[in-house]
Amino acid sequence: MDIQARAYLPRIAALALAGASFLGVSAAQAKEITIWCWDPNFNVAIMKEAGDRYTKTHPDVTFNIVDFAKLDVEQKLQTGLSSGTADALPDIVLIEDYGAQKYLQSFPGAFAPLSGTVDYSGFAPYKVELMTLDGEVYGMPFDSGVTGLYYRKDYLEAAGFKPEDMQDLTWDRFIEIGKQVEAKTGKKMMGLDPNDAGLVRIIMQSAGQWYFHKEGKPNITGNAALKAALETIGKIMQANIYKPANGWSDWVGTFSSGDVATVVTGVWITGTVKAQPDQSGNWGVAPIPALSIEGATHASNLGGSSWYVLESSEEKAEAIDFLNEIYAKDIDFYQKILQDRGAVGSLLAARGGAAYEAADPFFGGEKVWQNFSEWLAKVPSVNYGIFTNEADLAVTAQLPAVTQGTPVDEVLKAIEAEIAGQIQ
Amino acid sequence: MNGIGRFAASAATYGFLGLMAFLSIFPFIWMVLGATNSSIDIIKGKLLPGAAFATNVGNFFTLVNVPLVFWNSAKIAILATVLTLAVSSLAGYGFEMFRSRGRERVYRAMLLTLMIPFAALMIPLFVIMGKAGLINTHIAVVLPSIGSAFVIFYFRQSTKAFPSELRDAAKVDGLKEWQIFLFIYVPVMRSTYAAAFVIVFMTAWNNYLWPLIVLQTNETKTITLVISSLASAYYPDYGVVMVGTILATLPTLAVFFFMQRQFVQGMLGSVK
Repeated sequence: MDIQARAYLPRIAALALAGASFLGVSAAQAKEITIWCWDPNFNVAIMKEAGDRYTKTHPDVTFNIVDFAKLDVEQKLQTGLSSGTADALPDIVLIEDYGAQKYLQSFPGAFAPLSGTVDYSGFAPYKVELMTLDGEVYGMPFDSGVTGLYYRKDYLEAAGFKPEDMQDLTWDRFIEIGKQVEAKTGKKMMGLDPNDAGLVRIIMQSAGQWYFHKEGKPNITGNAALKAALETIGKIMQANIYKPANGWSDWVGTFSSGDVATVVTGVWITGTVKAQPDQSGNWGVAPIPALSIEGATHASNLGGSSWYVLESSEEKAEAIDFLNEIYAKDIDFYQKILQDRGAVGSLLAARGGAAYEAADPFFGGEKVWQNFSEWLAKVPSVNYGIFTNEADLAVTAQLPAVTQGTPVDEVLKAIEAEIAGQIQ
Repeated sequence: MNGIGRFAASAATYGFLGLMAFLSIFPFIWMVLGATNSSIDIIKGKLLPGAAFATNVGNFFTLVNVPLVFWNSAKIAILATVLTLAVSSLAGYGFEMFRSRGRERVYRAMLLTLMIPFAALMIPLFVIMGKAGLINTHIAVVLPSIGSAFVIFYFRQSTKAFPSELRDAAKVDGLKEWQIFLFIYVPVMRSTYAAAFVIVFMTAWNNYLWPLIVLQTNETKTITLVISSLASAYYPDYGVVMVGTILATLPTLAVFFFMQRQFVQGMLGSVK
């Protein structure tokens, strides 16, 4: 027994050593820019394209683009920043616009200001506003969620409406049209998920307001745009011109299966709308309907994200130069990502390129990208603040009350109370 | 009348069992069917086999460096399992075999750590790993799991059934303590090791939060992280996600079926 045991020992030790050696990892190389983002078909692919372009003129800089799920990027960023373990952070990270101020304000000094380098006058103003803190601008504006009213020309024609009739509507007119569409075609006007406050955000921002004032205090009971947004949704519910959807996939199903006549959302839905080739030629895009209150416009935004450089980055200078060279200057890059990935960037000059000027047969030859980029410049700037997600939850929780006909002023009070409880 | 009643009773029983079986197996069926359909068909709720299986598999293999990702997952799961079993079974053995005054107090304190949620330990652990220079290494994923309070508890409970006569006899034969552990205890406790293997392997293979925090590059990522990233795209290709999920399920299934047999054999062995 003893002899056998002695024979075993060196083998166990050898195994342990082998284990230790194959756990080693290679050290990071110099001048490698590490980037965290979250969608392999979208921002990851786009960043690879951007990296390739930059490496062509700067062969000494390479890119390491790491994709995690969006929530995972946030989780990792939060852990890295809270623990103060700088070498665990990337050089550039993608942050969703609604959450930008939360990171900028919660971790002062963590992100590098780019105001000195980047010429922000070329970007959509609302994108610059959301990444500005105390006079410094911190990010590189990336994709926009500029909104549009996608509508089925065939259904609307059957109800007696031409594309001209769909331009520059008010929400009341939109509901009127919806009633007639249902009467004539039996189709609902839009899909609506009662657990998603996206439409509230779209309508509210279109009138230049948000859940918070510029200085960060909640703006709920005195918020005319939010009130009008909730009233509008109440009217849509009452007129029963919507098809209820349960969750994102279900909502996408309302229009991909041809059950509804319109979709009001961000430009990033275009690819999904076009995923039904049998509907080609039947779709048009108009500006979204406007409220009938002061400051109302036909332009708004839903979602979108931007790039941020970490102050602790060893390759900070290269990272900033890279973002500036590609995202703030390369018009051709914007044509490429629009063509390949359907990404509408925030650089206004990009609209002069060929891809933006192309007419799209799916939309009956409309120059949809030109239109979107025109609306992009008009999106009202608001302060997304640090508690947009919390406010959104409060609104979502109160949406059923709106549908049950509770007076909107009471709903607003309930939302305000809930937000006050959440952010203290 | 009696016959009809009995028939109705068994019909109700089988009906209920069938329903429950269907409910528990449905996600699996849905996963397999999903792998054969295009993303848009899955969104539309199609529940029939489609023709997109080859496309989905092809897309999965283009998007994901499959051998590397599986190698990472396997490396972590196997190392974590082997080290956890080695360390925690030794601890369980020690807790049961050696009497001392502080034993129960230490043991209880250790069990209390089961109540601390991992989220609370995450940042301190991360700082420790950062100081040790282990961020983005697989050893950092494995280390926190090897002293598992649950597995120690499990081994201590099972060790109570280990006949102390065996240990006494071995001592009389002149074996040292580590020899008793290695050549008497480990073979006798095969069944316990097998069961613990299944549990620890599955936990390590499916582990998500800690690898997510500690791993930083595409080269070190595990299959769970890759699937999570595929599924959270703005327009996830659900067909591809389903292919990934099926592939990620296979090793745990294999371990489970394989170890199930070992488990039974081990049980028979320990009775003799």
